[in-house]
Amino acid sequence: MKPGAPEVHPTHPKVTDPYSNIGGKSETEWGDVERGFAESDYVREDRFESHLRTHGYLEPHVTLAHWEGDKLNVWTSSMGAFVKRAKLARTLDLPYSAVRIHKTYVGGTFGGKIDLYSHEYCAARLSMITGRPVRIVASREEIFSAFRHGQPLAMEIKTGVRKDGTIVAQRIRVINNSGGFRGSGVVVIFLAWGFTMIPYRIPNLRYEGFSVYTNHPVRAPQRGHGAPQIRFAIESQLDRIAEDLGIDPITIRLRNARLPGERLPNGDNVHNAGLVECIRIAAGKSGFLEKYGRDRRSPPQGTIRRGIGIGVSAYMGGTLIYPNGSAVIVKMNDDGSAIVLTGAIDIGQGAETVISQIVAEELAIGMDDVKIISSDTDATPQDIGAWISGMTYVTGNAARQAAGNARDKLIAVASERLGVPVGDLAAKDKVVYSTRDPSARMTYREVIAASVATRRGDTVIGEGYWRTMRDEPNHPSLATTKGRWTENYAFSAQVAEVEVDIETGEARLVKALTVHDCGFPVNPALVKGQIDGQISMALGHAFMEEVMTKDGYTLNPNWLDYRMPTIHNMAVSEDADVITEQYRVGQPYRTKEVGEGLVSGILAAMANAVYDATGVRLNSTPFSAEKILYGLKALEFEQKRSQPKETVGA
Amino acid sequence: MLDVTKSGLGTDARARSRLVSLCVNGEWHEVAVKPRVTLVEAIREAIGLTGTKAGCESGTCGACTVLLDGRPVLACITLAVECDGAQVRTVEGLADGEKLSALQEAFLDQGALQCGFCTPGMLMSATALLERSSQPTREEINKALEGNLCRCTGYNAIVDAVLQASDQGVKPVMK
Ligand code: FES
Ligand code: FES
Repeated sequence: MKPGAPEVHPTHPKVTDPYSNIGGKSETEWGDVERGFAESDYVREDRFESHLRTHGYLEPHVTLAHWEGDKLNVWTSSMGAFVKRAKLARTLDLPYSAVRIHKTYVGGTFGGKIDLYSHEYCAARLSMITGRPVRIVASREEIFSAFRHGQPLAMEIKTGVRKDGTIVAQRIRVINNSGGFRGSGVVVIFLAWGFTMIPYRIPNLRYEGFSVYTNHPVRAPQRGHGAPQIRFAIESQLDRIAEDLGIDPITIRLRNARLPGERLPNGDNVHNAGLVECIRIAAGKSGFLEKYGRDRRSPPQGTIRRGIGIGVSAYMGGTLIYPNGSAVIVKMNDDGSAIVLTGAIDIGQGAETVISQIVAEELAIGMDDVKIISSDTDATPQDIGAWISGMTYVTGNAARQAAGNARDKLIAVASERLGVPVGDLAAKDKVVYSTRDPSARMTYREVIAASVATRRGDTVIGEGYWRTMRDEPNHPSLATTKGRWTENYAFSAQVAEVEVDIETGEARLVKALTVHDCGFPVNPALVKGQIDGQISMALGHAFMEEVMTKDGYTLNPNWLDYRMPTIHNMAVSEDADVITEQYRVGQPYRTKEVGEGLVSGILAAMANAVYDATGVRLNSTPFSAEKILYGLKALEFEQKRSQPKETVGA
Repeated sequence: MLDVTKSGLGTDARARSRLVSLCVNGEWHEVAVKPRVTLVEAIREAIGLTGTKAGCESGTCGACTVLLDGRPVLACITLAVECDGAQVRTVEGLADGEKLSALQEAFLDQGALQCGFCTPGMLMSATALLERSSQPTREEINKALEGNLCRCTGYNAIVDAVLQASDQGVKPVMK
């Protein structure tokens, strides 16, 4: 990045003078930051760094391609069939109609299977050359050494506040070590701006993000895509500011948290944002203020210190990016059961379950009456994919519309046959009946037969379409950040309780509390599963996992040396959702993100909890035993130095 | 990649295949395998039971766990030739026809799986545990499942499922 440094891509146009190797830049500003700092009562500057981690999906990358002369059939472990098709067809210079991505069940992704990978291209190309099916499976060592990991960011943050902790101005500079190619390196610095501006009001802001080419493998998105890194930084600094001003961590967050109905700098509205409730309930349920600072004030016997910390985050759902929208088709069978055609892909988040639930609910039929056909680019309609935290919202509402469309058709036919106005008809258990006279009724089977008999043979098919913000152009500009994102923002406050052994420096997460506004939880058990999985992933991020590299090589390309949480590392994970009753009435389903933002607040909470336990502030992840021990020694040294030398002369 | 050729499973043309008899879920199979072929390869590629998964093929994730003469083993670091005459149980052998085992039911009920890739291995490790100890403690469960990685669930639901299946007061979530 240094001006004059040798260029990784000497032929690329220079994006930003005077810096070298800038693959892309994200930049925005509002208010008057310098004046904001001048008017602040307190200003603080810190630098934070995050480290290289990987997704750790259990199923390796695997692709089977079979060229049949004019059709490329592909089975691959991915996060969205339609995105894969677009990328593969473009790369191979084939029409979209010549590429069929078939349905597969996917063994975990966490961001690591969005991009088009070279093994996918190679399997396809080799099959086209040989006319034979080609399968390529990556070994775990290959995944660690040559595939894409997450994106380590360096973050410089200057914040000015009033005496009471209200944020006045912030200047943020984010640098992404993006590897040898652009990948999604610019996306992550753009999103880091988003995750900066959503939770708290910042009247004056200047943001600059750089994605920098380096001699490393190219990076992929990873669950949270910038949020864990930037929230760790901001929330850590906020705790320091609070302490410097003598305010507690809860009060400073409540003072800055966005309220319902606020407009964000990108023009979006947060609508019913439950952040304030999240913070309040998280503080109450965890007994935060009673526990905070306890072990630092009066250290207990022994070597174990306990600490508590809080972190706040927010996440958008279903943001506009190709393919932007989803469509769903619901076909009624003669017996009143239904077939759902959806492009949604199930990667373990439960997409098929949720879509079936929605269709069953809207059609007033049982879950067992719904058969789902999914994620096949030839057989099912286009879908946004499982990678922008919007499937339940976007595809779910397309499913609601499709089922509603089929139900309306059923009711229209029944209305004709029964001579009852549409407005007096309702549906329940595969029967349409009159709400005034329940004896006037027809089963779905009878209605569908009647439709075929009287309407030119028309069977009943429902169609539904959805995308977020229909009147907006396709997606915001990564470079200028202009453009709206979504109508759905999820909010959360998370509390971590950690234990640190001050003799060894080892820290562990004991208990996590997640309080969140996820909109309407269509399937609470799946929501809970997402929360628990994110807590586990975040504690790996905090204490265990790091991809070590040297000269571009991975030094620990296996799960013995890259330590992911095992069953012994799990923590108690409690959760509560707030304001969900506000979403229970009316349509469309106001579902929000729940599958990736919750790795963020808890990471920050763990950093703050380590400080609370030990007095050691860590500006970089992971919070390893070495760093904590070093911090403890440094504190000891400081203390000794500042103690009055009472023994002098004795 | 593996090839099932006329000379048996495996690609090493210099090595002779050997005939190995495996009783998998109660059915005997005779498979010709090269010496370097692993048990998971024999089960998946030759016998065609793909329920058993391979996540690392180096003994670190537990996804390939099967029961060999009743004991959980990592099928990716067990050679097929070592298993001649052995009784093998895989995830396909847990259900009785359409009827899932109590443990499988509990996994479903507790949401103890998301992507499901770790699940066959988890189920086999936990089945072996429940067969030797009908009401295992949390510590015993942790010990029995410590070699099985799960990236999706965070493990809490898995422990609850084992407790539920062994009637230890964990209430069903969905029923
Ligand atoms: S595949 Fe055998 S332990 Fe991972
Ligand atoms: S359910 Fe996906 S790894 Fe366990």
